[in-house]
Amino acid sequence: MLRGDVILKVIVAAAALFIIGLLVSLAVELYAGSAASIGEFGSAFLIGRTWDPVHEIFGALPFIYGTLLTSAIAILIGLPISLGVAIFISERLKSHQGFGYLLGTVVDLLAAVPSVIYGLWGLLILSPLLRDYVEKPLHQSLGFIPLFSGTPFGLDFFTAGIILAIMIIPTMSAVSRNVLNAVPNSQREAMYSLGATEWEVTQKSVLPYARSGIFGAFVLGLGRAVGETMAVTMVIGNTPRITANLFSGGYTLSSLIANEFGESSGLYQSAIIEIALILFLVALVINIFARLLLWRMTRGTRVRI
Amino acid sequence: MKNMYIIIAAIVIIAIIIGGVFAYISLSTPAKTSTSTLAAATLNGAGSTLVFPLMSIWTPVYAQAQPNIKIDYSPVGSGTGITDLTKKLVDFGASDAPMTAAQYTAVGSTVLTIPESASGVVPAYNIPGISNGLNFTGALLANIFLGKITNWNDPAIAALNPGTTLPNLAITVIHRSDGSGTMYAFTDYLSQASSVWNTTVGKGTSVNWPVGIGEPKNAGVAAGIADTSGSIGPLEIAYEIQNPNQISYGAVQNAAGNYILANVTNIAAALQAGASSGLPAGNAAWTKVSIVDSIYSNAAATNAYPITTLTYILVYQQQSSDVQGAALVNFLSWIVNTGQADGSGLGYVPLPANIVAIDNTSIGQITYNGTPIK
Repeated sequence: MLRGDVILKVIVAAAALFIIGLLVSLAVELYAGSAASIGEFGSAFLIGRTWDPVHEIFGALPFIYGTLLTSAIAILIGLPISLGVAIFISERLKSHQGFGYLLGTVVDLLAAVPSVIYGLWGLLILSPLLRDYVEKPLHQSLGFIPLFSGTPFGLDFFTAGIILAIMIIPTMSAVSRNVLNAVPNSQREAMYSLGATEWEVTQKSVLPYARSGIFGAFVLGLGRAVGETMAVTMVIGNTPRITANLFSGGYTLSSLIANEFGESSGLYQSAIIEIALILFLVALVINIFARLLLWRMTRGTRVRI
Repeated sequence: MKNMYIIIAAIVIIAIIIGGVFAYISLSTPAKTSTSTLAAATLNGAGSTLVFPLMSIWTPVYAQAQPNIKIDYSPVGSGTGITDLTKKLVDFGASDAPMTAAQYTAVGSTVLTIPESASGVVPAYNIPGISNGLNFTGALLANIFLGKITNWNDPAIAALNPGTTLPNLAITVIHRSDGSGTMYAFTDYLSQASSVWNTTVGKGTSVNWPVGIGEPKNAGVAAGIADTSGSIGPLEIAYEIQNPNQISYGAVQNAAGNYILANVTNIAAALQAGASSGLPAGNAAWTKVSIVDSIYSNAAATNAYPITTLTYILVYQQQSSDVQGAALVNFLSWIVNTGQADGSGLGYVPLPANIVAIDNTSIGQITYNGTPIK
């Protein structure tokens, strides 16, 4: 009996330590790989705007900007939709649990589609559609706003943001659904007993109770958007540019790594690894932040994430 | 607790089964009998994605000639292929560009550069109503890709294409986003054609493009061009040969002043002319080798397509194993002398006789313990 305990302890401890070791070795390896670039450019790397492999001048700012901008578009579009789906399933469909479950599963299935499929669909179908039916009308009617001032090509920040929004909706709606389900029924019943309408219950009782959890869902979605590579690479236009114009080609940290790592060597490769280090740190910070928020919200209740 | 013993027992049994399967596979493979005189070997290669389709064609055909030798090629990109060769992780590397001086220094011992296939890069475009054969010069292409010429009705384009009605349509430049030998050849050509391009952008597998948007791989550029009216982008000739009449492409003026619409014949003519003006010995530095450069002002090559490039296999001159070395020499001789014709359906241009001769000399220099293997 005792021996079994010891064996189990050793096995599970080894598994846990293995993961921690993996994370640490990842960070160490990225830092070691980027040492040459860090030594050469120092902090200028973070604010440099030029990426010129031929003359070995490297700056990460356009890629950081592209990553943050596309993620912001994704959140702006994806969060309201995810929240709508979550509220519809957990509040409106309370008495039709079978249908709610079915709808939830369908949304979850979006997460199972490989990202390269989204990329292909984005490149071949979504991007021409957006260009002709969304970007061109916006450009013609609101072109005086810098956001819409560029000639629309369809392969730009905007399309990348939309693709990302579609890809993070399953994550955000699943987490939102779970936090809404975790709101105690007594909260709703108390409101109903005062004669509140369904909208008032959702708005004044359920959402405020769940708000930090929803914020956690938002940050988790952001984490996914920041790291997504393949689909974005296919629709963003891969041009290192810093501009408010959403219809201009852009570039993200992860796309740069996917595009250029294979053919690189020397200082050039080191600079790409430093890009990976930046991406790693950004994603890590976002995820730690999200976990802390979720933990604060759901202490004491069972939540599946 | 009882459950735990069952779980542990299950894990052990599964481990034994997996181990047994692996042991069976590894024991049974060498038992295969063959008529070949060569000892069994697996040749690992890594590098260029451009030659991967060609390697995939060669592997089964070569397996019929030499069933004992297995070719395992990973298309990880030219740069990584050279790094892997430097770390001695692979038997051969494949690269779309010759090794740089820094890469030669990193490798330490002598590396043989063996050209094994060739390709051409065409200016592909999507202009409504205009099919193949719009005329371009190097200077015009450079100005388009520098962003100096921005509309298809520009007088500079019209001057080269009398009789063609060019629309008032903005030019959208589309280029590769991933590092590639195709872009190396194309930017090499633009650097020759324009001193402005040469000093501000230069040549490389990835460059800082002044204008335009990037799409991954040849197929991404092709899809981008097909979707965007008014676009132009550099495309491998392989795409045009495999997908005829889908995306139009232009003719490029060569040193003799002729406008050449790329095909297998005029790319081979360019290789022939480029190689005859002198390629270095296989064990010398190839850093400066460029078919584009050597035919750029060669007016005698009247039928040569100017944007033509070689791809290379890189191996150590001194092999550390006689079995691996013998297999490598056999494989290289086979692809240079026998395998060339297999790729033409995919748009790979067979090497002309003068390059095959240089390759055979280089392969003859591969040694084990100081003596040539061949």
